[in-house]
Amino acid sequence: MAIEIKNLTKRFGDFTALSGLNLNIADGELVALLGPSGSGKTTLLRIIGGLEQAEEGEVIVDGANAGTVDIRDRRVGFVFQHYALFRHMTVFDNIAFGLRVRPRNERPGKDEISKRVHDLLKLVQLERLAPRYPGQLSGGQRQRVALARALAIEPKVLLLDEPFGALDAQVRRDLRRWLRRLHDEIKLTSVFVTHDQEEALEVADRVVVMNHGKIEQVGTPVDVYHRPATPFVYAFLGDTNVFHGRLEDGSPVLVGGEPPSEKQETARMYVRPHLMDIEHDRASVESVPAKVMHINAAGPTVKVELETPLGEAIMVELTQDRFLELKLERGTEVFATPRQQQLFKKDDYVI
Amino acid sequence: MHPTAYAVGLTMARKHKSVLPGFGLSLGFTLFYLSLAVLLPMAALALKAASVSLDDIGRTLGSERVQAALWLSLRTAFIAGVINVVFGLLVAWVLERYNFPGRRLLDAFVDLPFALPTAVAGIALTALYSPNGWLGSIAGIAGIKVVYTELGIIVALTFIGLPFVVRTVQPVLQDLDAEIEEAAASLGATPYQTFRYIILPHVTPALITGFTLAFARALGEYGSVVFISGNLPGKTEIAPLAIMTKLEQYDYNGAVVIAALLLVVSLIILFIINGLQAWGRKRKLA
Repeated sequence: MAIEIKNLTKRFGDFTALSGLNLNIADGELVALLGPSGSGKTTLLRIIGGLEQAEEGEVIVDGANAGTVDIRDRRVGFVFQHYALFRHMTVFDNIAFGLRVRPRNERPGKDEISKRVHDLLKLVQLERLAPRYPGQLSGGQRQRVALARALAIEPKVLLLDEPFGALDAQVRRDLRRWLRRLHDEIKLTSVFVTHDQEEALEVADRVVVMNHGKIEQVGTPVDVYHRPATPFVYAFLGDTNVFHGRLEDGSPVLVGGEPPSEKQETARMYVRPHLMDIEHDRASVESVPAKVMHINAAGPTVKVELETPLGEAIMVELTQDRFLELKLERGTEVFATPRQQQLFKKDDYVI
Repeated sequence: MHPTAYAVGLTMARKHKSVLPGFGLSLGFTLFYLSLAVLLPMAALALKAASVSLDDIGRTLGSERVQAALWLSLRTAFIAGVINVVFGLLVAWVLERYNFPGRRLLDAFVDLPFALPTAVAGIALTALYSPNGWLGSIAGIAGIKVVYTELGIIVALTFIGLPFVVRTVQPVLQDLDAEIEEAAASLGATPYQTFRYIILPHVTPALITGFTLAFARALGEYGSVVFISGNLPGKTEIAPLAIMTKLEQYDYNGAVVIAALLLVVSLIILFIINGLQAWGRKRKLA
């Protein structure tokens, strides 16, 4: 079901958690709410789920204002970061809970419940664990039980609060691919909260980047990564080098290593580490003189940390071949050159 | 000695040692202390009981007065325990779930029955519930007599048992995330269903432990009860008082028999508590 969020505002005392948010989520979409902690992403999710009330604005699910519907009748599947499983119940009973608490006239029969639970266990690939208690499962298994439990009530929308936040890196990667495949299979409108940009870009159809209770950008992973709307989005979606430059006739000029003088109109340039190159000689006017401070060659690329004479750090990612070609060592004096950059004018300075 | 050999010898010796020093000494002291303070008096009682003739046992336990006292103690301790389970859970819930001015003060009040000398509690309760006391006069209007009745004993035992239930349930409630209740609500459970199927099963092991502790304490409670009960033989005479009466009559064997019986009941309760705690642990989230 489609979700429509109109002019949503939420305050906790003096703190404004969300201010005037508007967002449309299409039927069957998988959307990530991405942002640092305190950006309001979890609050937004909890308001959509009815666990929290907004001061102003409305949430419309499937054409009806969800704010007037009690949480019990919303049919929202909510998956909590720390699973929130009922630990005195077996996996089977946990998943069956949502069906068993229905009013008698809507409650499915015993066999029907059993069949539904086993179908869900099959869906989350935990068929053999039905009689176990949550305490006997691994973190990844618990999270899948929590998901099956949320799906049991046949929700209109599925909401996941940092679903992989408490898991270790390997399990996390496996589980998010699995979630993506699961979503393609069941096509349920889903919103998940994460502070991990990699997770958002890999799993979601669309990413909503949030900061300070506002939406910075909404777009496909390709959009937000390659066409960031604000410096914040650019910086949040990957490692970033920031250079100060000046504007000449509206186009940016990076003056290598020198701080711009007061009178000039300044601009900031954002460059990803893998879009930087290192040379032994000054290649262009934009090259910045720097010294190699640290080299990490373990991995698919070589990460080199440079320091400019002004004491600013520059991160550069080189291919292994290029690294060997350059024969870099700690202390080598080099020039760093941006190959491609993102310009933000002065009034965009958010960071 | 060769330096390497010495080093090897050192590692071997260290291998079995724990990082914490003094295990041998502290274990020795613990055993000694427990024996002296706990096991020795019990053993003395058991030995003394073993030397009592079957006749004496039969005579003591056969006496209607003793039977009435034992039965009264079990019954009142049980009822007081049940009352404490209900209201102790309520108190623990309010103290854990809500924030209000004076919460910490109220929390401290819960320990009052622990801290108060039992005789003081007994006198206070008797004064309060006597026919011309504050509460006793109100109860009198309703035609209820508290002091010198079984009801009075139950009141006293409820008073001293409350902290046991509150203090065992509180940490368990604290342990129960608000998320769990939100999860239940989002799955469509009514507040009653959430309480009945989620919260209650979660706190049940703690409630049973609290009940058992309160029950065991109430079974042996003496100081706070003797004033309010009036000690009418066969009517409001509790088991610990029956022991006192036997001693005053120089019937040591009779006293030992009743004491041994109470000891056995206490031990059974202790085993039940331990069993319940093991059961509760097994179901805990790792």
